[in-house]
Amino acid sequence: MKAKKMSVTAKQRRAGWIYLTPATLLIAIMSFYPMVQALFTSFKTGSSAHMRWADPIFNNYIRMFRDKLFIRSLGNTFLYLIVEVPIMLILAILLAQLLNNKDLKFKGFFRTCVFLPCATSLVSYSLIFKSLFATNGLINLILVKLGIFESNYNFLGTPSSARAIIIIALIWRWTGYNMVFYLAGLQNIEYSVYEAAKIDGANGWKTFWKITVPLLKPTIVMTMIMSINGTLQLFDESVNLTSGGPANTTITMSHYIYNNSFGKGVANFGYASALSFLVFMMVAVLSAINMKAGDKRD
Amino acid sequence: MRKKLVSILLATVTTVSLAACGSSTASTTASSTAGDSTATATSDASAAASESTDTAAATAATTAVNVDTANEGDDTLSVYAWDANFNIPALKDAEKDYQDNVDPNFKLNIIQASQSSDVENAITLAASAGDYSTLPDIVLFQDHYFHKYVTDYPDAFQSVDDAGVDWTDFGAEKLSYSTVDNKHYGFPVDNGTVIMAYRVDLLKQAGYTIDDMKGISWDDFIKIGQEVYAKTGKYLLSMDGDGNDLVYMMLQAEGVSQFKDNTTPYISDNKTLVEVVNKIVEMQQKNVLYLANDWSEYTDQTIMGDMVAGVMNGNWIIPTIEQVKDNSGKWEITTMPTLEGNGKEGYASNGGSSLYITANCKKADLAKKFLAYTFGGSTVTYDGALKDGGVITTCISAGKSDAYQAGVAYFNNQPIYSQIVAMGANVPVIQQSDYHYDCRTQIAAAIQNIIGGADATSALKDAEDQLNMDMGN
Repeated sequence: MKAKKMSVTAKQRRAGWIYLTPATLLIAIMSFYPMVQALFTSFKTGSSAHMRWADPIFNNYIRMFRDKLFIRSLGNTFLYLIVEVPIMLILAILLAQLLNNKDLKFKGFFRTCVFLPCATSLVSYSLIFKSLFATNGLINLILVKLGIFESNYNFLGTPSSARAIIIIALIWRWTGYNMVFYLAGLQNIEYSVYEAAKIDGANGWKTFWKITVPLLKPTIVMTMIMSINGTLQLFDESVNLTSGGPANTTITMSHYIYNNSFGKGVANFGYASALSFLVFMMVAVLSAINMKAGDKRD
Repeated sequence: MRKKLVSILLATVTTVSLAACGSSTASTTASSTAGDSTATATSDASAAASESTDTAAATAATTAVNVDTANEGDDTLSVYAWDANFNIPALKDAEKDYQDNVDPNFKLNIIQASQSSDVENAITLAASAGDYSTLPDIVLFQDHYFHKYVTDYPDAFQSVDDAGVDWTDFGAEKLSYSTVDNKHYGFPVDNGTVIMAYRVDLLKQAGYTIDDMKGISWDDFIKIGQEVYAKTGKYLLSMDGDGNDLVYMMLQAEGVSQFKDNTTPYISDNKTLVEVVNKIVEMQQKNVLYLANDWSEYTDQTIMGDMVAGVMNGNWIIPTIEQVKDNSGKWEITTMPTLEGNGKEGYASNGGSSLYITANCKKADLAKKFLAYTFGGSTVTYDGALKDGGVITTCISAGKSDAYQAGVAYFNNQPIYSQIVAMGANVPVIQQSDYHYDCRTQIAAAIQNIIGGADATSALKDAEDQLNMDMGN
């Protein structure tokens, strides 16, 4: 009887909630519950079968600041972030601008080419880069045959070159992905705006900085947040390309977390969870800064 | 146009998320190749599978590590193992031995993991979840990891004290890995005795014979290595730079450990260790030693890619050496060099694995009976394992069979197996630790740093600090 008395809006609201329930429940069970559990785990210590509360309770969090290896992985991750993200985003925006040209022939072909790296799995492309840059690999062969290098160079066994290769690999893999977002953003800019600029006598450079970039800002902010988030959680490249080596000079935070939980038989899940929460907080803070800086609406 | 782009965008997101799903599972299996000392490269595993005429090889080569113990028959046992060239043939021989001589209905379901760390991770996962039903009845497990896993997960394994095996028939050093608090848990499979193998044809070009290499010091080794490199362009030694086993082996040959006791590292004030590390750095700098970037480069490039004139590792490395068919008859083995030299020969043991019965095994009696009959000392099993996989036993009585006396064509008809058994008797027992591999990783990193220009004392001090931190000291 009561149901009949419900107004139309109330009914619609109820329907809305019912539609939302399954997804909400799944997210809560599969995502939020493990997160809370991980928070508890991060205060515990001992083997994963018999965990006990750490003493003092923040021990895992205190420990990470004395852990030189973790500090190093933090440094590596930020190095990748600071070097790779700007290069990649600038390249992506330039490529998008080029491929957005109305008079360009074979546009579809070029767009596919630039985007194609994103279709490869992270592990397989890492392994391909690894074999390309191996001491007996293709790149060494070419460089030696051309006479640029005298003998084969151990790219992945030298800290500086190993880091550079990870950055090159990342740029290759993710530029096309970001370009697609810019391309979509560019399509949303009315052509009449450009025409007006042309009439006012703005050249290509000015048009790019005064019209394209400001109008693309929401997209730029989004890609930056995604890139920062992705780079802070970088894992596959570190594991598969260099396995963190030589001497942990290329290890990323996520890889170090993995090593603390599954790798090397240490099985220190408490410490690994604590490290994960630090990464989580860093992603949150950096994204917040990014959004504040990029959003000028009020 | 806009619609088209949106659909492209949507398609992108789906592909990327799918790719991400696919890669995350793959990366767990592909990740820690460097950590395994006994896993031979996957490429030679597949090579062996294609060469093998045994039809069973195809069935065993299932890549997925998954097992359904609940639905297997009463006469069937399942087991995880990882090396198609080495321990899997040994398990097949044991199965056949048991079928022929005890129970014709018996079946062993061998599940091939791609590397030893898959087995370790399977146990970590099952124990963390408190649900052992995902495990097979028996696992092959790396010796150096076992104590740590029993300490961490005491319920994961079943004791085999009552299996009726004469344990005195096994090498004491080997048993020390599978015995915790005087309780036996494992059946030894292979033997980790270190061999120093040389390409005699290359030594000859530099003017040396295999006898010149016996009982030499590491300084002599470096001198000869430089000459070999100058004459032939081949390194006299190679090792995986990330999982550097040289330190452990060279130290054991001196009778020294990296640990004072189970939880106290003995690194920066350990004079022998410092000397060993300095020798390794010197070898690398003088082109005597090639440090590979990871385990697969070590096996695939340096050994199978014919970059070296010498190999020093546990004798389980022999099947990898034998992959290069063209070099048959050109290799011979001898003992390790030592720091002192002057005729003092080095003996060490590295790696190796044993079979353990997991908590999930409901047919523990059958498992114990099977393992006790076969790996507990059956010469049929051990002779077959030697012939098919090159698996050398630590079982003293089984090691006396005729199969061990035969010369091996690949090693210039040297009776290498009996030589290895004899060498194994001289291996000193040194202090072991649950943190063996962790220590290996830290010291390997220190060596890389020293090669990169860091100060040796401070690099080793850093390694010790990091190790102490990992151990919770």
